[in-house]
Amino acid sequence: MAGDHSHRYWKSLEERNALVESPAAAEDEFPESLEFATGSIGRRQFLKAAGFTFVGAVLTGCQRAPVEKAIPYLVKPEEVIPGLAYFYASTCGGCSAGCGLLVKNRDGRPIKLEGNPEHPLSKGGLCATGQASILGLYDSRRILHPLREGKEATWEQVDRDILDKLEGIRREGRAVRFLSDSISSPTTLATLEAFLGRFPNARHVVYDPLSCSAILDAYEQTHGMRLLPHFRFEMAEVIASFDADFLATWIAPVEYTAGYQAARRLEATPPQFSYHVQFEPRMSLTGSKADQRIRVAPQELGLVVTHLAAMLASLAGAPFPAEGIEQPAVPRQALQEVAQRLWEAKGRSLVVCGSQDVSTQVLCNFINHLLSSYSNTIDLALPSRQRRGNDRELQSLLEELHGGKIAALFISGVNPVYDLPDGNQLAPLLQQVPLVVSLDGKPNETTELAHYVCPNHHSLESWGDQEPVSGVVGLSQPCMQPLGNTRALLESLAAWTGTPKSAYDILRESWQSRIFPRQTKESSFQAFWDRSVQDGFAKLEGTRATAVRPFAAGVVHPILSAGALGEGEFALVLYPKVGILDGRHAENPWLQELPDPITKVTWDNYACLSPAAAAALRVSAGDVVRLESGPATGNGQKGLELPVVVQPGQHDQVVAVALGYGSKATERFAGMGPQWIEGKSTVGETGRVGVSVAPWLRLVDGALQYWRTPVKLQPTGRHLALASTQTYGGIRVPPQLATPGAERRPVIQETALASYLDDVRAGKQWEAEEHEDLWAQDHPYTGHRWAMAIDLNACTGCSACVIACQVENNVPVVGKDEVRRRRVMHWIRIDRYYAGDGADVEVAHQPMLCQHCENAPCETVCPVLATVHNAEGLNQQIYNRCVGTRYCSNNCPYKVRRFNWFNYPHEDRLENLVLNPDVTVRSRGIMEKCSFCVQRIQEAKIEAKRKGEPLRDGAIKTACQQSCPAGAIVVGDRNDPNSLVSQLLRSSRRYHVLQEINVRPSIGYLKLVRHRLEAREEKRDG
Amino acid sequence: MNSRVLTIVLGVGLAFTVVFFGWSVSPRLPGDQQGYEPAQPIAYSHRLHAGELQIGCLYCHFGAEKSRHAGIPPAGVCMNCHRFVIASLGAIRAEHEQADQQKRPPQTVVSPELEKLYAAMGLDKNLQPDPSKPTNPIAWVQVHKLPDFAYFDHRAHVNAGLECQRCHGPVETMERVRQVEDLSMGWCVNCHREVDQTGVAGKAVEASIDCDTCHY
Repeated sequence: MAGDHSHRYWKSLEERNALVESPAAAEDEFPESLEFATGSIGRRQFLKAAGFTFVGAVLTGCQRAPVEKAIPYLVKPEEVIPGLAYFYASTCGGCSAGCGLLVKNRDGRPIKLEGNPEHPLSKGGLCATGQASILGLYDSRRILHPLREGKEATWEQVDRDILDKLEGIRREGRAVRFLSDSISSPTTLATLEAFLGRFPNARHVVYDPLSCSAILDAYEQTHGMRLLPHFRFEMAEVIASFDADFLATWIAPVEYTAGYQAARRLEATPPQFSYHVQFEPRMSLTGSKADQRIRVAPQELGLVVTHLAAMLASLAGAPFPAEGIEQPAVPRQALQEVAQRLWEAKGRSLVVCGSQDVSTQVLCNFINHLLSSYSNTIDLALPSRQRRGNDRELQSLLEELHGGKIAALFISGVNPVYDLPDGNQLAPLLQQVPLVVSLDGKPNETTELAHYVCPNHHSLESWGDQEPVSGVVGLSQPCMQPLGNTRALLESLAAWTGTPKSAYDILRESWQSRIFPRQTKESSFQAFWDRSVQDGFAKLEGTRATAVRPFAAGVVHPILSAGALGEGEFALVLYPKVGILDGRHAENPWLQELPDPITKVTWDNYACLSPAAAAALRVSAGDVVRLESGPATGNGQKGLELPVVVQPGQHDQVVAVALGYGSKATERFAGMGPQWIEGKSTVGETGRVGVSVAPWLRLVDGALQYWRTPVKLQPTGRHLALASTQTYGGIRVPPQLATPGAERRPVIQETALASYLDDVRAGKQWEAEEHEDLWAQDHPYTGHRWAMAIDLNACTGCSACVIACQVENNVPVVGKDEVRRRRVMHWIRIDRYYAGDGADVEVAHQPMLCQHCENAPCETVCPVLATVHNAEGLNQQIYNRCVGTRYCSNNCPYKVRRFNWFNYPHEDRLENLVLNPDVTVRSRGIMEKCSFCVQRIQEAKIEAKRKGEPLRDGAIKTACQQSCPAGAIVVGDRNDPNSLVSQLLRSSRRYHVLQEINVRPSIGYLKLVRHRLEAREEKRDG
Repeated sequence: MNSRVLTIVLGVGLAFTVVFFGWSVSPRLPGDQQGYEPAQPIAYSHRLHAGELQIGCLYCHFGAEKSRHAGIPPAGVCMNCHRFVIASLGAIRAEHEQADQQKRPPQTVVSPELEKLYAAMGLDKNLQPDPSKPTNPIAWVQVHKLPDFAYFDHRAHVNAGLECQRCHGPVETMERVRQVEDLSMGWCVNCHREVDQTGVAGKAVEASIDCDTCHY
């Protein structure tokens, strides 16, 4: 083992630099500054606080046990037994991907969303956004009744007004437009068609704030049909992605993650391990998992694709006009290697591209055509319906609006005033339209301007369907009575068509006439319907294949040059962030507090700069810079001020900023978090969270563009403290505690694929030895013994588990200021490590949660025995015993314990309905941490006993395991040698983090295996 | 001299206070509600139903077998019988006798407690649902209450063969339900220790004394 090996991984640039300059400082386990010692609390403030505390204590002591009422049903619904959870299959409405859901209902209300393991696309995973979307149901700021000119009205009044106006518009033959995001629901589309069909001049205009319009346009050119193909990552052995963040935010990340993982199974015989190369300007989640990352500025992407196409064309012997192409900014050698790999895996390779440039997409189609990807790794016969937006039609709609030609505009599922580059110009234009109706249930910039708001139900309150991919139709069923006087979109459309009907009837009739004929298994509709409602989806074997034209080579044109940037000029890249996406769930505090998987910053957007660019500008993390665009942005804005985040692995001429921030919906967070003397607001100076960068998008040549050049940066000299969890919980072995030779062993272990295939034990850096124990081995574990295995190869860092745990375990949101003070409460965090010199870095994601150590250091220091071991290997935290000394947290080597510095209640009392009644809500002064979802363990054990059956492996799934799209987390009984977790823990890849301190954790990690060139490998793993 | 008198007076006062409070406040832990016997909105008698009429506990508290909560029966369960039984036999006989004496047809007698049930269900005189009447679930006063941080599971105990009386006392003899045991943690744990040795109803059981059996 090489001596310099151990600190290969670092979490932040500060840490890396400190490692070089003073290793001792970098190992500081508690980097918190003592704010009180240097802070600004004066004597008077102290006395005030002390006085309040005293009075509070006295008053609390005066409480008597209150009389509590037990109020049963009058007449109990047949299927409900109080205290038991019921699961209903449904379809997620969090985005357009349409993942399968199991909605956990307790006492008549949904409390948790889980992935549906039977679902053919999402296969049991559910992303962070999907998990968090349940909180939107209990949002009391939703629009809960129809509005007329901003005032509450009845449905009759609103319908009468709208129908009157529509009648006039129909008679005069004026234009009616329905603007929405992608709707994949066959029933909604048919109902909408019937509604629009009544008007001589009516059109449905679709745009997606995260547009894939260029892909669809390219297929229209190359295959004669405007469609989005269904990408089959599970079939791909070599994947080349051009700025498509398919594991995090692109089209259907849950399905793609599951597929991607299916092609990377080392334990399969023979071992499968796809090769993934990512070309991108910034560090994306997908890039962080790539075997090879090549940094490309956004304006150079087309040129690089052209070169790759030319190389593959010459390999395939296909004609390609290769003259006069500028040299690419990336090494030709690397590109040639990629081309070679793709070519060798012909028919099993896949090229995806997130660019919004149609010619680049056409070139990608050409490459896929050369590689015989069609009908192998790309399905055109049963295409995806997840993104159907057409930016050209959006552009013509905007022109019509400017021309005052539209008489009625219906808006559903989108927020154009916020989403679009010239959104603020829309406000006066919308005022000129005689009838503007919004169908959104969330108050936003657009609903404010609508004449009528006809709020739709939350997706958990209504019947509906979605067809994310042709032939797979998901069904949604209501899981509770609507909380307000809202109405399903289907019902509104039917009412305005003149055929008022309930959403259930519309859906059922539509399924009978449209969906039922497409299947072959069931002969009676009732049986088919019942099965579909039970399953939550229907697979339609009889779906007709989409007929596409053969590939038309004539439309392929090389991109000859890339726009050059001058000295000190940058390309601005606007990207969607995990969880927040386009800002459609910006009002969700769980998603706002979810650390970005790469930067680990919460509650803000910021300007990402590469270390070299930051050094050249003499700025560091938190310094505010001013972005200035040459040509004015959509709303005439010329500058934008944002704090800097220094992002290793980013292109040096790129500044990247997240979309979805600074919307009106975030104004609610002004009072977020504890309001105490030293507390600072969660919102910024503008009263909102982050800054909106939508005006910096460009809607040009019929496509929304997510980058712009040139942009200049100017340091402002101001500084903003970002709420980052990046340097939380440094894990390192103090040399005095480790056995000789093991003290510098890193927490991430890895090896190269070639070495692994030679010897499955490769990369093992330290062999476990039997230690003398201070503790008696007095845990016999005669029954179960719970353990967890986490596969670092599978983990993409997508953070679905973080939100799943938060929902399941009533983990509170603390607000930006508290996050800054290192008081985030998440029980599971994902540590993100970098390796490398800062320009090109390798990334590792490591979920870190309570390790349930056998020799737990926390247990030995607790003076009140509030944390003790149980007979099944769990390290229990007993809230009612805890007095809050925080000794346990100090002594925890993994830094996974969380202390309640305050009571952190939901800011909206209605949100309390989402609390899991099976988990105690912790109050101020209590330590808490991961319990391995012990409530689920107890439930499964008791149910097994009740049924008189043995507890079967897999009956217990923790919340993190359930949600993981990659299947990276497995929990089970280690005492059962046949359980999945036992098998995984016997794997040659298994290691324990900090094994050398002999705390004997119950969590085993499976080592990372990387595709890497052998030469580099030898040097590293020695 | 004066100060000595004062000291004695204060000392006697202190002793009196200590003794007085010692008597009036029984030595129990905070939250201990042993002996709690609140008045209920309807004077339902367990002695009559469970004792005299021998109706099984699980007939009304059907959740106890399947769920963590035994549950207070929905009013609909009462109506299974009280659709037909609307007053005590004694009251009906008395009315009949009185009617005979006064030479008039006997009137329908409805027990005043059952009137409350019918009112809650919004029923008319013929015990049919009357849409014009409001329905109000009955707000019973909870007697046996554990703190929010303790998770007791009825189904685990009932299915192990434990008798309800073991924790709830002789409910079938009580006119109004009273909390018999103190429901403290020590009391729970003692039983868990005991049955690990002795078993329940002749069967061996695993009654864990791990904290997270109840606290999570």
